[in-house]
Amino acid sequence: MASSNLPRRIIKETQRLLSEPAPGISASPAEENMRYFNVMILGPAQSPYEGGVFKLELFLPEEYPMAPPKVRFLTKIYHPNIDKLGRICLDILKDKWSPALQIRTVLLSIQALLSAPNPDDPLSEDVAKHWKANESEAVETAKEWTRLYATGE
Amino acid sequence: MMEDSCDDEDFYDGGGDDDSDPDSVVISYDGLMDHDSDDFDDLNSSNLIYYHRSQNYAILNEDDIRQHQEESITQISTVLSISRVAASILLRQYNWSVSKVNDEWFADEEKVRKTVGLLENDTPLPADQELTCGICFENYPRDRMRAVACGHPFCVVCWKGYIGTSINDGPGCLMLHCPDPSCGAAVGHDMVNELASKDDKEKYNRYFLRSFIEDNRKTKWCPAPGCDYAVNFTVGGGNYDVTCHCSFSFCWNCVEEAHRPVDCGTVSKWIMKNSAESENMNWILANSKPCPKCKRPIEKNQGCMHITCTPPCKFEFCWLCLGAWSEHGERTGGFYACNRYEVAKQEGVYDEAEKRREMAKNSLERYTHYYERWATNQSSRQRAIENLHQMQTVHLEKLSDKQRQPESQLKFIIEAWQQIVECRRVLKWTYAYGFYLNEHEHAKKQFFEYLQGEAESGLERLHQCAEKEFQGYLNSEGPSLEFNEFRTKLAGLTSVTKNYFENLVRALENGLSDVDSHAACGRAGSSHNVGGSSGKGRGGKAKGSTSRSSSSKNMDDSGHWSCEYCTYANVRSSTVCEMCQRHR
Repeated sequence: MASSNLPRRIIKETQRLLSEPAPGISASPAEENMRYFNVMILGPAQSPYEGGVFKLELFLPEEYPMAPPKVRFLTKIYHPNIDKLGRICLDILKDKWSPALQIRTVLLSIQALLSAPNPDDPLSEDVAKHWKANESEAVETAKEWTRLYATGE
Repeated sequence: MMEDSCDDEDFYDGGGDDDSDPDSVVISYDGLMDHDSDDFDDLNSSNLIYYHRSQNYAILNEDDIRQHQEESITQISTVLSISRVAASILLRQYNWSVSKVNDEWFADEEKVRKTVGLLENDTPLPADQELTCGICFENYPRDRMRAVACGHPFCVVCWKGYIGTSINDGPGCLMLHCPDPSCGAAVGHDMVNELASKDDKEKYNRYFLRSFIEDNRKTKWCPAPGCDYAVNFTVGGGNYDVTCHCSFSFCWNCVEEAHRPVDCGTVSKWIMKNSAESENMNWILANSKPCPKCKRPIEKNQGCMHITCTPPCKFEFCWLCLGAWSEHGERTGGFYACNRYEVAKQEGVYDEAEKRREMAKNSLERYTHYYERWATNQSSRQRAIENLHQMQTVHLEKLSDKQRQPESQLKFIIEAWQQIVECRRVLKWTYAYGFYLNEHEHAKKQFFEYLQGEAESGLERLHQCAEKEFQGYLNSEGPSLEFNEFRTKLAGLTSVTKNYFENLVRALENGLSDVDSHAACGRAGSSHNVGGSSGKGRGGKAKGSTSRSSSSKNMDDSGHWSCEYCTYANVRSSTVCEMCQRHR
């Protein structure tokens, strides 16, 4: 590993992510850039995303851990807090970031967001409206998208 | 519930500094009504600045601010028996209100502690020789680790990074918590002092100072560009005008420049209107003339002076004199040497009444009328401020030399200029007031325009005397015999003008209510009422306001005549009003 100027913290986090992965989550650094991670999150059970495998990218900026990691979905997903470009509306990725949080905690929070969409704090206005107006129909769309885009068929 | 009454004491009950600060004493005028001794005899100028009925604010420089801040912290720290660091955190949370902190603390200490993250007991660092930093995951000996009251250990390097990042993110650093996401323990000034870089500490202290002004209901920064003073204001008394030591006057309530006697609502409407229209207006004024017949603005985009207005008007006229083209020819001295200006004006090309109706219909023109006067007084005031400054720094000394008068005897000149500056400000805002005055309230409108006209013509005479006549004495070879006359005249004009403006300010502040009972009175009648209602008929006499309707055609004793229509004071020699182009 070309890690001579990589902070110890990142190395340790990476090792721990690989050796003791969180259930339903995998994250591995790219060969050429140890600050770039390929992430997969399994759609949580009892959610419209169940059965889906969602790809994300995660990047640790120079200031990490003083600044939060940058994360976005690569797989299309129908969710009120995630927009067309895969950007995620999550407080700990913005003002609620603390250097004592980690890649692992961030990914667990994203997994939890899939189980509990919050249409009251929307990033994607249309989806959130749909969610509030007719939740069961929105859930159906989310399931449909999961089947279409996240099952690797 | 008792918040308000206590709050006012935040600054004062600590040090009583209000009394001890000589800077906060501004000349105050002790009432307006008892000023009916002879205007010209009353050269005592201690009551020149008439608008401070009482001083209900104090100007604070940076040292004052720090001192007040320290006093508040001392007070809370003493009363609650907590550290100064904890006291500042509490005060910050409750917007620097000592009484609010007291109330909240004694109502529910536990809740307050939880809200701001002040733990009752310190948890020491874990006892191990070596500890793991929760940020970089490195192990360090115990003495390289720090924690706030909660005891969550982080290494010195990570703490520095954490604090530095937060300070560079802005004033939120004043409410910093332990990095542990589940922990709300506050990080105070002491940690910052120990761990932040020199630059960051300075930034933090700046935010800390700013917070004391910006988060506090009773203080604001002076809005003048580059001014570092703050103002502490005690609400009550209804007058919001504040004058900073930098000499900028502003309204405490809306932070626009001072606009008494006009209320904040009118001012904000007017400023909004100006920002929406002024650019259009300026362009139109600079680049066009209204067609003399239909009043639509015309831009001259070709060289010839022969203008034909677009249909349906199709009026043909001369760009220079705005007279009908059909009357141009050899007789007038040729098309391009147009001397028809005076002739056209005197003949009254158009029926006056119809013209007036046209004007009334055209709201843009109405707005232009008020805007031009508002803006002119604004720039006139700006120049007067410069003049005043020049007077204080250069001219007074020179004059003292020339006229062999001690500078202390020349104060009347400074006072005249101060009066001019203040009057220009008031006058300017009366045009915003006039714009919003209901067109249909004729009596009020007439009364207003009468008062405004009186004030304006008085001011013009004062301004002229202070500007033009003064030059003569400044540039004379040696002492002039007439200098004492000049003194008497200028001081007299200052005093008279002050009275006119007091009348005006008072009348506008009570909503021109004097006029309600005399609604039917005409202009001549109302001129008597002014004198009567203000308790001093002399303002009128001194200046000859009653002569408005007399044979001297509005001529006053300094050779001005004020225009019947727009009240502008014109020089004796002109027959047409400089401002609105109407005949005398």
